[in-house]
Amino acid sequence: MNRVGGLLELEGLRRTFGSLVALDDLTFTVPSGRVVGFLGPNGAGKTTTMRAIFGLIDLDAGVVRWNGTPVGPAQWQRFGYMPEERGLYPGMLVGEQVEYLGRLHGMSPNDAASATRAWLERLEIADRATSKVEALSHGNQQRVQLAAALIHEPELLVLDEPLSGLDPTGIDAIGHVLVDQARAGCCVLFSSHQLDLVEDLCEQVTIIDHGRLVVSGTVDDLASSGARRLVVRIEGERTADWARGLKGVSVSEVAAGEVRLVLDDAVDSDVVLRAAMAAGRVTEFTFARRRLSEVFRGAVG
Amino acid sequence: MRFVLIPVIVAVAIGLRVLLWQRRRKRQPVAETSEHEGAPPQPLRTPRGFAVGANLGSVGLVARREVLERVRGRIFRFGTLIILLVVGAAIVIPKIHTSHSTPPQQVGVVGAPNQELTQVIKYSGKQVKIPVEVVSEPTQQAAEEALRSGKLDAAVVAGDTILVYQPVSSDSKSDTATLLEVLAPELGVLHAYQQAGLSGTQIEQVAKARPVPVESLQANNNKDVNKGTSVIGVILIFLMITQYNTWILMGVMQEKASRVVEVLLAAVRPIQLLGGKVLGIGLVAMGQAALIAGFAFVVSKAVGSDLLRGTGGLLLLSDLLWLVLGYAFYSWLYAAAGSTAERQDQVQTLALPLSLPILIAYIYSITVASSGSPSLLFKVLAYLPPTAPFAMPVLVGLDQVTWWQFLISVVLAIAGTVVMAWFAAGIYRRAVLKSGQRVSLRDLRGGPRRPRPTSTPTVDPA
Repeated sequence: MNRVGGLLELEGLRRTFGSLVALDDLTFTVPSGRVVGFLGPNGAGKTTTMRAIFGLIDLDAGVVRWNGTPVGPAQWQRFGYMPEERGLYPGMLVGEQVEYLGRLHGMSPNDAASATRAWLERLEIADRATSKVEALSHGNQQRVQLAAALIHEPELLVLDEPLSGLDPTGIDAIGHVLVDQARAGCCVLFSSHQLDLVEDLCEQVTIIDHGRLVVSGTVDDLASSGARRLVVRIEGERTADWARGLKGVSVSEVAAGEVRLVLDDAVDSDVVLRAAMAAGRVTEFTFARRRLSEVFRGAVG
Repeated sequence: MRFVLIPVIVAVAIGLRVLLWQRRRKRQPVAETSEHEGAPPQPLRTPRGFAVGANLGSVGLVARREVLERVRGRIFRFGTLIILLVVGAAIVIPKIHTSHSTPPQQVGVVGAPNQELTQVIKYSGKQVKIPVEVVSEPTQQAAEEALRSGKLDAAVVAGDTILVYQPVSSDSKSDTATLLEVLAPELGVLHAYQQAGLSGTQIEQVAKARPVPVESLQANNNKDVNKGTSVIGVILIFLMITQYNTWILMGVMQEKASRVVEVLLAAVRPIQLLGGKVLGIGLVAMGQAALIAGFAFVVSKAVGSDLLRGTGGLLLLSDLLWLVLGYAFYSWLYAAAGSTAERQDQVQTLALPLSLPILIAYIYSITVASSGSPSLLFKVLAYLPPTAPFAMPVLVGLDQVTWWQFLISVVLAIAGTVVMAWFAAGIYRRAVLKSGQRVSLRDLRGGPRRPRPTSTPTVDPA
């Protein structure tokens, strides 16, 4: 049986630190059943927003609601949080620590113990249950941290940069867990600067800048919106100089021999193809959707 | 001194009540299991009343973790063992020292043994509880020789001079010095009697003269004995308050430094986390103190020490109560201070100013406990929560308070602790999440409220 879905609403959040406005009338919602990426440049207010969801900072104005009710201790107990600054007791045993956090979230001793075993197993660190946290590698500590956020099967999961510093295996493991949680009815909000990963994992993204909402929508909608994109690959050509002079065409990205172009509505793609063929042997010429990184740059540009 | 028992009994009763309540709560059946496909088992939860039930539960859980962490530590176990050894030694050694049969003092008498002289020498020894042996020496030269070789401790020459090998200072506590302090005036008196031409029988009669007893209208309260006990009590209170509050300081600082506090505060409220820490470390402290006090009591009884004679037992209970109250008052202060630091050196900078009031109250209390005459200022300090944990036990030891005065001080201490907890919780929740930056006084301003969700529309300053 899946968890009952919920809706997280942030309405008019405002928080200032002296003269710095960290959150400026920030309003958005996070539905359950989807992995929602929370993006923004450094200092945009992501961590402050996440802390506000858990009441860890005082808000100057605004309200955070869960299923229409302003959040309070009762709701916080059913939320899971993985802060940006990882935090565990360095000298405490992994199993005990996860179990302890489960119990702080209201689990009975037996449930906390069995859920700890199950989650450590799932995150492939069951063999480290009796190790001290400080003896674990960074990646494994990150897994313990995730287990600590998940142990009580939260209705809302908020993760601040859960994928940073992980190897591909770790990213896959944690990414799968996030998607599974969302499928199970959990409301998942996570921040990351690794936009490719966010694009793979998320169905929806919310982008903020200077404490304000800039863009919010499904990845599909955002990717298919905006001007046409062309991906062109020319053998031996890596500068995209051939495209820079074309009218109504701008170079969006050049990476690993692949040139991404943004075409104005009036531009005929045949003109671009001819210019490309003049520059060398064309090995790829495809219309493409906007990448998340392009959406991001366009939004916070 | 029975009044000391009242608050102690009340405190124990409240403690037992809370314990029973907690146990009953734990036994209550949990809600039905819900299943979850392909994922770890769902927690068993009762959604309604969840937060209310979890409040005390969270404090208990945090406290439990603290207790386990401390008690498991090797430093704690060895530390307790060492304290027990020191306390045991402090009780047993003086007892051994006083009951040990010291070798008799050898007092030489030059010339033929004189019955009156021998009697006076032996009587002087009895007065100071030092065994004395009178040895006859034929000549002064022989006596001097015996003094040099150490065979004699003192020699009486011609009934009016006492010879010793080394000069005896007036503040010396050696057996010889103690004996001579009595023997010299007694010999002088004997010499005077003989000069006055009193007969042997008359001299004996006069020599048997005893001071008349001084009787007080109130019963003797063994004040001298309690003086020692209250000094020891104040020292223990000082050591334990300093020790356990340093644990609080370090514990809060470490939670902040390891950033675990943000995870914890997402689940429990700051006051619960802080309360659990104070309670947990407090329980360890009280457990250790009770163990030490119980051990001291048993050892004292076993060796027949004077420390707990008379009202010493009640004084011990009063000391324990004030240890609890003192710990409770200062723990919040130390916790608040710990939340503003995240490095060892910052903690050390904080520890000194925090310990100043404790140190001053402690030194003042020790001085008063030793002198036995509390000033008005000291009596006032016995009612102020920061100083009462040191001053009040001393007043109890000196029997200078009535039960209602004691009770007023206890009530004030509890009220002071509540105010301190409120104040500390405010600082704590503002400071503990401010990592990697100095926490300024400006950051700590304001009340300890958790942000209340408001439904007022956002004010846009633009």
